[in-house]
Amino acid sequence: MPEGPKTDRRGALQVIAVTGGVVGAGALALPAARFVVAPAAGGAGGGRWIKTVALEALKEGEPKRVALVADHKDAWTLEKQVELGAVWLLREGDAVKAWSVVCPHLGCAVDRSGTGPGFYCPCHDSSFDPAGRRLSGPSPRDLDALATRVEDGVVVVEFQRFRQGTPDKTPMG
Amino acid sequence: MGKLAAWIDERTAWRTGARSWIDHPVIGGAPWASALCTSVVACFGVLALTGVLLMTAYAPSPQSAWASVFYVEYVLSRGWIIRGLHYWAAQSLFVLAALHIAHGAIASSYRKPREVAWWLTLAVLGLAVAEGITGGLLPWDQRGWWARVVEGNIVGLAPGLGGWLQAMLLGGSELGALGLTRMHALHVAVLPLLFAVLLLARRSIVKRHGWTAGGTEVPHGRELARSTVVAAVVVVALFALTGWAHGAPLESPADPLSDYPARPEWFLMPLYELRKVFSHGPAAEFMGTSLVPAAVAGYFALLPWVDRAGRPRALTVFAPLFAVAIGAAALAGVAWNKDAHDRQYLKSRADADRVAAAAVQLAMQGVAPAGALDMVRNDPELRGRSLFVAHCASCHVLGDLGDPKKATASKLDHWGTTEWIAAMIHDPDAPEFFGLGPYNTKMPSVDVRPKDKPAGEPWTPMVKSDAEKAAVAAFLASQGDEPGDPPRATDAATLAQGEKIVSDRCTTCHLYKGDGDLESSGIAPELAHYGSIAWTRSQVANPSTDQTYRDQALDPAMKKHMPRFDKDLSAADVDIVARWTRAHGRGQTLP
Repeated sequence: MPEGPKTDRRGALQVIAVTGGVVGAGALALPAARFVVAPAAGGAGGGRWIKTVALEALKEGEPKRVALVADHKDAWTLEKQVELGAVWLLREGDAVKAWSVVCPHLGCAVDRSGTGPGFYCPCHDSSFDPAGRRLSGPSPRDLDALATRVEDGVVVVEFQRFRQGTPDKTPMG
Repeated sequence: MGKLAAWIDERTAWRTGARSWIDHPVIGGAPWASALCTSVVACFGVLALTGVLLMTAYAPSPQSAWASVFYVEYVLSRGWIIRGLHYWAAQSLFVLAALHIAHGAIASSYRKPREVAWWLTLAVLGLAVAEGITGGLLPWDQRGWWARVVEGNIVGLAPGLGGWLQAMLLGGSELGALGLTRMHALHVAVLPLLFAVLLLARRSIVKRHGWTAGGTEVPHGRELARSTVVAAVVVVALFALTGWAHGAPLESPADPLSDYPARPEWFLMPLYELRKVFSHGPAAEFMGTSLVPAAVAGYFALLPWVDRAGRPRALTVFAPLFAVAIGAAALAGVAWNKDAHDRQYLKSRADADRVAAAAVQLAMQGVAPAGALDMVRNDPELRGRSLFVAHCASCHVLGDLGDPKKATASKLDHWGTTEWIAAMIHDPDAPEFFGLGPYNTKMPSVDVRPKDKPAGEPWTPMVKSDAEKAAVAAFLASQGDEPGDPPRATDAATLAQGEKIVSDRCTTCHLYKGDGDLESSGIAPELAHYGSIAWTRSQVANPSTDQTYRDQALDPAMKKHMPRFDKDLSAADVDIVARWTRAHGRGQTLP
């Protein structure tokens, strides 16, 4: 049998097999990649203003941990009026300061310090003074302050999450 | 039977296949390496089998995950054995894979032509860690959830793609439903498939080259017998571990709002401590938690080239190996030792264990579709306690809650009981009654002459005998829980005597059923249903309604007065905290 035609045929078969493979796999891979990546594509969403407690429920100089109650959507689940986050509130006259309880370091919940007047993270020992400023430990920034306003005697907080572990406060969607 | 086997053999030639599998030559020798390899494979087999069994009862969603794992662990027959075997096989797989690597390094198993088998062995450990991390989330309990949140944030520290990678793993910016389904898919499909492919590839290379140089060819059958014994020993050991621990740990349902002292899985504890060495900034932290372990792995992967003729193995292999082993053990030891002496950590840990035990008890009655966290959050007993801690314990003390040194209000143990009232009306200014708060010196004792009363001035005690005092206490303490309820005690004569004294003599300052307070002082509280659930609820909601105390109760001049809570607690929460406080003051729990 002559050599030429056989080689040609093998080459053609190779081209067909490779093309078929690329087209088939590619047709599957594109939507598959989009499908897997989609939930990660969260935009930088703004905060939500959530009503908390009465101003008069806060004592001057004593931070209070308050749960934020609002609707919570998680993928296909919608929970009506659940506790979806918490903030530390500190009254200063007729104004209120608020900090997210989420530690700016790696995201554990910041508690009152057991030894001093400020705040403390139980995971990696970051500590903060009563004004939320970083005192010691690995946190790269101060506690995340949240905007507040008082409406009809009720403290309203702009609830917002920020990226952890960065020196600057980057809002997350 | 023989006929059937022959019939199948004629069509499939399975006998030839089986025979060639048993008889094919393998390179023998290195019994420790092959025993360790067999143990790893045995653990993988146990994990695959028990994993599939667990999948028959596991439901991966934030609402159902914890409840279904609870159901496996505590309700399903032999569930704790299946879950225990799965858990302990995972822990053992990790230890055995590490030992396998250590042995390989010591026995030079990485040398040509076994480099690829050596890398695959390193990858086994990597996959074991990945399976441990993804599997740890599946129960959706406090430990797994918080550890994944922290680890996700560590991934997020990676420069460039960190944030994107974190969102890919967690299925969004927060660890929720999609994070769980993703980890589940990785844990039960992607990673095990990789694991199986990796073990098979490693097997075929070892068949060709043996574990170490110098082995001679033996039939596979001889090795197979030894492997079966090793595997059986592993399975028995896993049963022993499962029996010893009675299953596998399950903490309370993941609660993103709790103050949980997160710690990673034990095999990541060295990195947890190492992170502190690199705590000056995010870039350094990324180094400590990711680059250092990656560098260690890279060094071992490059051993075939690092360990060259002319270089002493003591320096290239043994020193790094022991440095990693001892370093990891020392770091983990330091971390555990620190936690064991950290009072705040131990307290949070004890709280977490208490809630976990309570959650299991609650779940025994079944978990509502809203999920286990909803169950824990809305259980009156657990919620009452956390409300008390959050809102009452800064001033009051009750049992082990509240700090006696910082208390500015009455101690609530036995509050409102006959004994408490009898002791209180005798000495109202004692620190456990009203001595620490704004009502200090406002109430006179019923039977002790006031100190500021000049000698010789006439003074009549409000009760003329201990019997009268006891009658007052008994009457006040036994009023019904809600207005209109009958009294709880049955001694009608004593109650009538007590009520008469209260309405005749106490109403100079107090109200009784809305009447009294002849001097209009506006301070002393209503005594009808004093200490009852209704009274407590009203007091917590608003202490100035005349149902309990009056307008002066919220006067700013009354330093450290009790605040009203009806504006920051729902009516349901006020009711729960009132019931809880009253029940626990009497040493009871809420149903």
